[in-house]
Amino acid sequence: MNSGLKSGLVLLVLGIICGTLLAVVNSLTAETIANNELIEKNAVLEEFYNLNNYDLEEKTFESDEVSTIYVLKEKGTDNINAIIYQVAATGYNGPITMLIAVNSDYSIEGYTVLTHSEDPGFGADIVEKDFLIESVTDLDPFDSVAGVTYTSNGILGCFEIVAARAGQDFGGGLDD
Amino acid sequence: MTNRENLFKGFVKENPLFVSVLGMCPSLAVSTSLENGLGMGLGVFFVLTLSNLIISLIMSNEKLAALVKPVRIPVYIVVIATLVTIVEMLMHAFIPDLYKSLGVFIPLIVVNCIILGRAEAFASSNTPKDAALDGMGMALGFTGAIAIIAIFREFLGAGTITVWGNLVINLTGLFDFIGITPIGIFVQPAGAFLSFGLILGTITAIGNKNAAKKLAKEALANG
Amino acid sequence: MDSIIALAFTAFIAENIILSQFLGICPFLGVSTKRSNALGMGFAVLFVMLISSMVTYALYTYVLEALDIVYMRTIVFIIVIASLVQMVETFIKKVSPALYKALGIYLPLITTNCAVLGVAILNITKEHSFGETVVYTTFIGLGFIFVMYIFSMIRERIDKAPVPKAFQGIPIALIVASILAIIFARFGGIV
Repeated sequence: MNSGLKSGLVLLVLGIICGTLLAVVNSLTAETIANNELIEKNAVLEEFYNLNNYDLEEKTFESDEVSTIYVLKEKGTDNINAIIYQVAATGYNGPITMLIAVNSDYSIEGYTVLTHSEDPGFGADIVEKDFLIESVTDLDPFDSVAGVTYTSNGILGCFEIVAARAGQDFGGGLDD
Repeated sequence: MTNRENLFKGFVKENPLFVSVLGMCPSLAVSTSLENGLGMGLGVFFVLTLSNLIISLIMSNEKLAALVKPVRIPVYIVVIATLVTIVEMLMHAFIPDLYKSLGVFIPLIVVNCIILGRAEAFASSNTPKDAALDGMGMALGFTGAIAIIAIFREFLGAGTITVWGNLVINLTGLFDFIGITPIGIFVQPAGAFLSFGLILGTITAIGNKNAAKKLAKEALANG
Repeated sequence: MDSIIALAFTAFIAENIILSQFLGICPFLGVSTKRSNALGMGFAVLFVMLISSMVTYALYTYVLEALDIVYMRTIVFIIVIASLVQMVETFIKKVSPALYKALGIYLPLITTNCAVLGVAILNITKEHSFGETVVYTTFIGLGFIFVMYIFSMIRERIDKAPVPKAFQGIPIALIVASILAIIFARFGGIV
């Protein structure tokens, strides 16, 4: 047998062994990974509402700004009680992703920063901060932080995205 | 070499990070907290020990070695990549927080020069037992070195030392006592280069001093 | 269009592959002692990076995802990069001996250059489209060349400076790199 073919066969056999091994490990871990992700996602949503009291509907969009909305409907009806928006806007080092929970009277139930790449010690600190906003119909009280303007603008940007579409969504729009 | 020497040479004498200066990328990137450094060390420990063991097993069998020899580098890479993917999946499933904070640097263990370097320089020409011990020692030496950088950076940059999960040593009181805030730059990318440079220089200085002492002693003994 | 410019700028400066993502540190410290070496290595990396990113993107999207075996990603990518480096080497040797002379010695080093695999994986995790992959990779590569070149000029001068003995070589290079990193990080707000 020529040496090139032999080498090829060695690699092929090794590839098959390794591939099989990975397939086995994957099948063992895939379920745990999926479960973890679901638990984690629901845990974040449960910070705002007890999910057992509502029918949860999830809509995902192809947009950079609004990636997902979670619509909480009164059990068994089509009445929208609240919408949780997953939105993104640009901060200092890249996108800041937030969850913003809005009630049907446009008051803000709560918000949290999901991911960001702001600098530790600078922008990263203020993503934990209270921005004093209580309703999406009035963003004026927004408490920007001096010195970290870009991060503040990113967070305000997230609220603005929600403010721009909340009215339409509660009216039943719910589109991209 | 004895078992002891095989295991311990990676700690100080042939430390992969401080002496051979290999595996810089991950050590600069994940040394923002002690927890991340230890997590990276754990991944490297698993991969390096097993890759050394497997490669030594293949190469110490004459028939297999003859088959593998012409394509040994691709074979090493495939073995290492498989082990790395297994680590990645296990971390994703069982330590999801760590998986998130290490990010792209878990798959990048594949191109960590320490691992391919040990495979080629040691595992391919030593017994499986020696190779496994060598892998463990090198990985522990690597982990120790990252831990030193991580403690230095996290303490100066954030005033805390995150050992694992919720086990955090909070030393911000010390900064309050002196009347300053932690120096944020140390946990940023720039701080990684600065810390590594300072630590490496200090270690070299200590090494030089010891070497000079030894020389002086020998000169004295020789009259 | 705006977003493409922003992506290019981010890749080039704000998310500079060496100074903020810590990829490709080995060539950064090892080959940056002379300007000509820095440029040679830089262009070799850009070349391999661009081709491998396009190939791995296609493989990931049309093979791995289609067959639902995304867990084979790391293995497939590293094999692609290793064989690409081989092919590029043979190809350049045949087509342009002059170019081979300039880039040749850097090519084998690129297989274990984490910047190449790193960018291939980042393009996947950042969910870039094919166009974005090309733009992002090109500017990451240009950012690599840019920093390598600046750094090699600084190092040529450091070589002549009276640095304390223990800090000569890599330690002082790292400290200088930290100052560069501070400068680059401050460009983040422009985008």
